Amino acid sequence: MLVLGGTGYIGPHLVSHALARGHAVTLFNRGKTKPGLFPKAEQLIGDRNAADGHAALRGRAWDVVFDLPTTNPQWIVNAADALKGNVGQYVFVSSTGAYKDYTRSFPDETHPVMDPAPIDGPTAATASYGAKKSRCEQLVMEAFGAGGTVVRPGLIVGPGDLTDRFTYWPVRIERGGEILAPGTPDDPAQWIDVRDLTEWMVRLGESRTTGIFNAVGPRTICGIGELLYGIKSCFANDAQFTWVPQPFLAEQKVRSWGDMPVWSYPGASTVAFCTSVIEKAVAAGLTFRPLATTVRDAMTWYHARPAAEQERLRAGIAPEREREVLALWHTRRGDG
Amino acid sequence: MAPLRILILGGTGFIGPHQVEYALSRGHTVTLFNRGKTNPGLFPNVEKLIGDRNAPDGYAALKGRTWDVVIDNPVQVPRWVREAGAVLAPNVGQYVFVSTLSTYKTRAKIGMTEMDTDMLNTPSAPDATEQSATYGERKVRGEIDARETFGVNKTLVVRPGLIVGPGDLTDRFSYWPIRIEQGGEVLAPGTADDPVAFIDQRDLSEFIVRLCEQRAMGTYNVVGQGTTMSDMLYGCKAVTTSDACFTWVDADFVAEKKLRPYADLPVWMPPRGTSAGWARMDVSKSVKAGLTCRPLAETARDTLTFYHAQTPERQAALKAGLAPDREKQVLAEWHAKTGR
Repeated sequence: MLVLGGTGYIGPHLVSHALARGHAVTLFNRGKTKPGLFPKAEQLIGDRNAADGHAALRGRAWDVVFDLPTTNPQWIVNAADALKGNVGQYVFVSSTGAYKDYTRSFPDETHPVMDPAPIDGPTAATASYGAKKSRCEQLVMEAFGAGGTVVRPGLIVGPGDLTDRFTYWPVRIERGGEILAPGTPDDPAQWIDVRDLTEWMVRLGESRTTGIFNAVGPRTICGIGELLYGIKSCFANDAQFTWVPQPFLAEQKVRSWGDMPVWSYPGASTVAFCTSVIEKAVAAGLTFRPLATTVRDAMTWYHARPAAEQERLRAGIAPEREREVLALWHTRRGDG
Repeated sequence: MAPLRILILGGTGFIGPHQVEYALSRGHTVTLFNRGKTNPGLFPNVEKLIGDRNAPDGYAALKGRTWDVVIDNPVQVPRWVREAGAVLAPNVGQYVFVSTLSTYKTRAKIGMTEMDTDMLNTPSAPDATEQSATYGERKVRGEIDARETFGVNKTLVVRPGLIVGPGDLTDRFSYWPIRIEQGGEVLAPGTADDPVAFIDQRDLSEFIVRLCEQRAMGTYNVVGQGTTMSDMLYGCKAVTTSDACFTWVDADFVAEKKLRPYADLPVWMPPRGTSAGWARMDVSKSVKAGLTCRPLAETARDTLTFYHAQTPERQAALKAGLAPDREKQVLAEWHAKTGR
């Protein structure tokens, strides 16, 4: 197995699982992030932004390639140029963010994707994330044909996540007290544990299962309530949720995702990100850890971070603003 | 704190074994007194005295011995308290009577505390049997007799609510993680915000030992607080890989279909009428004295582990909860009625 990247967030999970399953793993990256992380894996050096940066891959053959970090379509063009004809399967990690018309609920893999971004030229760099992913997907399927595989995860969570989007909730709930909970418990929410994603990707390689897959969980969409109450069950404290309706949050400019991560609501511009249909991936072997396991491991990882990082989460409403919005809500409702 | 010499009456059933382990882990010396019939291999290094509380002179093994504390877990009939007292009262520093919240006649009131003595059941006759009086009435008598026999200043009465967790053979709480683990559409009674209250047997046992360490006397109601149906159901789901989803069926429909709260739909009581305060006791006295409750996920996970270690026959014969066919039927009727 060849892993492009492999040292970021999802990479180490994928590599360690592949090694544990007895596969021979080659890493290809600049050799700058976490060098020496996997002494048992072969290391090839190259810079995907450099001219002929993929040279180290030429003349080699692999059963499966995992392309983890790519948003730049030129990287796919270059990788395909170096690898085409020498790999059985090319697994590209895209995103449900590639879908067009994000407000539509329940997209399956046939839902139209965004108009692909140009590969080069003046507008290539400024194209949207979804448009770039869309172009990358197209290039992968063209170059690798029946071996082309596109995995579209939603929010990837668990140990190692530096975005703090999922992490905000267990951290906040662990602190206890009255917690601003967005919308209603039934509003859609989806996420996937980074280990469920990567272990399944390795299994895709083992079984030579190709195609395009949404990859997100949980198995059934129960809503943000499932997430918040489930997280709460992992702690013993006085945490209590106050569910504040979406229109009031909108009035207060409390945003879905930025301030209230993981949460979307019917009609929101992010709703496709929380309602993707996953039957195809489940049929292809995608499984899900218990939420309590994800929470425990995410928190173990979080508590091992430097104190300054623990204090300044990159997602979620600030504590003082949360208190303020809750107070305003109680006043509005007349129970303040 | 000086280690205590603790005598545990019973100690081999549901709440006993963890209590023994915890007491030992805190450095106390433990003696067990029971018939020697249940789990006789438990705790090979703990002193065991044999006796049958139903037999004539059944307490002989306790005579002439002294202990700092005696914890009486299993009392079913009031005379056990007086008989234990006849042998032990002069020789122990503290008697812990494990009573029950079933001592309350009604829980119509929200926020009831240990001070609400007017809400208690009428005590049974001193010679009451399991046939002649209710469990709650007998336990009220037991509390009274404990104070009279051992003295108010040496008696600690602990009243737990629904005791749950690994080892529970009533399956009341256990039904929920087991049912949720099976997946599919789960009938959830009442509303997501309906309060529920229970206590993990380990939290109860640990709290009792810590109360003894403080030499706390008096009465303590012991149950979790601030938990809702949502907390319980989603919390159970969080420890499984199940695809369960919940359909909330309102209390009126539950009553119309003659589904019994607490039995067919265990743990849950409709938060109205005589059960309005069922799951909303005010246990701040216990919390102040050091009651802690472990995360629900831990209780749910360990309950499932215990369940899966049972024989297939036992696993298939749950003693509480809705039978699968009946659940399906009621859900279908609910969907037909609500059009959802």
